[in-house]
Amino acid sequence: MAESGDREARVFSVETRFQKLARRPGGVPRDQAIEKAAAKIEEIKPGFDDWLIKELKTLADAIDSAKTENPPEDWIERANTQSRQVRDAGTTMGSELLTFIANSLCEVLDAIAAGAECNMESIACHLDALYLARQRRFRNLTPEQVPELTSGLRRLAEVVHTSPN
Amino acid sequence: MTRPTINLRDLVVLIADPSPYLSMIAHSILRGFGTSKVLEVRNAMGVVQTLSGQKIDILLVDARLPPQGGLSLTRAIRRKVDNENRMIPILIMSSDTRETTVKQARDAGANMVIAKPMSPASLYDRLAWIALTPRQFVDAPTYFGPDRRFKIEGFPGGVGRRKGDHLLDVAEEAGPALAQDDIDNLFSAARLGKD
Repeated sequence: MAESGDREARVFSVETRFQKLARRPGGVPRDQAIEKAAAKIEEIKPGFDDWLIKELKTLADAIDSAKTENPPEDWIERANTQSRQVRDAGTTMGSELLTFIANSLCEVLDAIAAGAECNMESIACHLDALYLARQRRFRNLTPEQVPELTSGLRRLAEVVHTSPN
Repeated sequence: MTRPTINLRDLVVLIADPSPYLSMIAHSILRGFGTSKVLEVRNAMGVVQTLSGQKIDILLVDARLPPQGGLSLTRAIRRKVDNENRMIPILIMSSDTRETTVKQARDAGANMVIAKPMSPASLYDRLAWIALTPRQFVDAPTYFGPDRRFKIEGFPGGVGRRKGDHLLDVAEEAGPALAQDDIDNLFSAARLGKD
């Protein structure tokens, strides 16, 4: 261990097992490793649609529960959790558009949780957009390829951000 | 330019993510890289139990891991003095990549933050960075973890100024999400003198 001359903080060198093993020769070259990982993702893609349908159904249920007379206290958190999962999986599974829409919905839900007016119309529009983006003909589009949709969602998100409750 | 190659065979990786599906995606990517053993847990208790039961070489933890979040877990792992995994490499996976969050992850003792959604390339490069970039550890009264002194910030708050630290402008705290390159810059050690 190499001590520094510092009185308050001790600074020392560490070589973890991860570093030791990862530096061994014989690893898979970066491009090949990435190619193989992409192939692994392709293997699980067939199940993506089924997963997405379930996520959107759970998201829709959480949103519907907010429209009841006595909405559960945790509906925003539940909706946010589902929305985050769609956001975090979308691009990796080939749908940048799903990630964009889900991210916008997360921002809306975060704003409401932080005290903005609960604009259910904005939330419903985002949910509709997610269902639209799930369709095969939209699935592989980028947000730039559907400018009307993305700018509309941006405007909706901005309205929620600027609407105090 | 030739990019570095890392060898992940025989390594044991622990993924801690509350979402089975997102965990499976990360698992698949790691398998593609040639990692032999990948374990998955859904909460902090699972991490603690797994770490105490077997040797783990690197921990990939979601920033929102229940119950307290991945940053809190990272802080706990680093601060526990008698913990044999105290210096385990920790990679935080987060969709919240605002500068404040990335700095909080760094200050908790994370080696690196990777933005979600992850791509195979972004994960490979972060793992390579952790493996191939030597980084010292700091043991201070208020911090234990990889050296946080970075080129764009000078010395971090809470650790105290040390020899060789220089005052530099610190970026604004609030702001939009950072791109992965900006996150990497926050984790880029100045002491190497290479950047």
